[in-house]
Amino acid sequence: MKLAELARELQAEILHAGRGFDESEVRSVVASDLMSDVLLVDRPTPLIVTSLASDQVIRTADIVGALGVLIVNGKNLPSNMKTLAAETGITLLRTPLPKFEACIRIGRALDY
Amino acid sequence: MTTDPHPPPHSPAGPPPPLPVPADQSPLVLLDLLYKLKIRDVMTTPPITVTRKDPLRLARHLMREHRVTGLPVAENGRLYGIVSMDDILQALEGGWMDNPVEHHMARNVVVLEDDMPLAFGASYFDKYRFGRFPVLDRNRRLVGILTSRDVSAAVLVELLQEFARLEARLPNPTPPQTVPRQTALQFAVAPLDFERAGRASHEIKRALSDLQFDPRLIRRAAIAAYEMEMNMIIHSKGGRLTVRITPRQIELEAHDTGPGIPNIAQALEEGFTTANEWIKSLGFGAGMGLPNIRRVSDEFSLQSSPSGTTVRATLFCPP
Repeated sequence: MKLAELARELQAEILHAGRGFDESEVRSVVASDLMSDVLLVDRPTPLIVTSLASDQVIRTADIVGALGVLIVNGKNLPSNMKTLAAETGITLLRTPLPKFEACIRIGRALDY
Repeated sequence: MTTDPHPPPHSPAGPPPPLPVPADQSPLVLLDLLYKLKIRDVMTTPPITVTRKDPLRLARHLMREHRVTGLPVAENGRLYGIVSMDDILQALEGGWMDNPVEHHMARNVVVLEDDMPLAFGASYFDKYRFGRFPVLDRNRRLVGILTSRDVSAAVLVELLQEFARLEARLPNPTPPQTVPRQTALQFAVAPLDFERAGRASHEIKRALSDLQFDPRLIRRAAIAAYEMEMNMIIHSKGGRLTVRITPRQIELEAHDTGPGIPNIAQALEEGFTTANEWIKSLGFGAGMGLPNIRRVSDEFSLQSSPSGTTVRATLFCPP
């Protein structure tokens, strides 16, 4: 499923549309608030689902070549997180849904 | 699935060539597509159909108008058979174009289900060499038809998107650089400088991308660099991160000025951490740093004393 489509499904705000946002296809997802766990995941271009609102999420996304970052729980973001997303070309989304529910919807949308 | 082990040929003028996507030899990216897509994503729907009582003449007219070579025979979603160009040719020769379709259609039809992966559909074109397969839903109602053209078009569209994505990830279109005999980059890392955390790793990743290393190797090197950088920020009095790049290997070295790791064996255990709650609130300090570095590198070494720690990770480039 396309990332843009999934964003709609999750009622997510698009805080930054990164490189190739419209064509990006979601193939794998990692949901964690621990960036070290995200670094452990050995799949190309994952979507990172997290309730951690920190610059380091974008840094981690950049390092692992993530498709994008979905912040759950409608968290407030540090002011430069969006700037960093723009600098690194990482898509940044924010949904009001709690993490569990966001994950369920993603799972359904991706036919897990 | 098939309703007949020896289905009659309902394909015109000889079997179509097999699809050029053998399931066991195709590149992974293609296999990924073939398993990700469902038949319903790709099939032609709604299918053009005739009913059992329709004359063959009407079937011929519809085939011509829609430029297809076969039509499912269906009523209210129930599939009764399939009529192909062969049947029409025989009717033209034999002079029975006004006979109802049901007397001449193939009744035992090989069908697909709409929620099967496309890989399954693609394999049917090899297995049966028919030009099309009616597609049924879970309730056995006819919902579409899958032709080899549908498969090729879908694969092509997906592959083009994949190419676009790959292109977007390539560095700017500067002429390809060759890896010089040795390049070294060095970055100072300050304690608790979360503001700038990750910049060194980002630069290292970019340098490796510019040098066109294999993306998987770049990813591993970037992960090691990032964990090294974060370790120094969280635990050390400051230090420097150095990367030495040759065509054969990438060597990363984190060297700090203390205070040293009291128990190295413990520090290498997954999950062991001395980080405080504040660091954990930033998403780090899970005790995975050193184990992660070791995991992604081909050679790993660690020396530590109260005057400083040196972590070295080497990644070999595949020939």
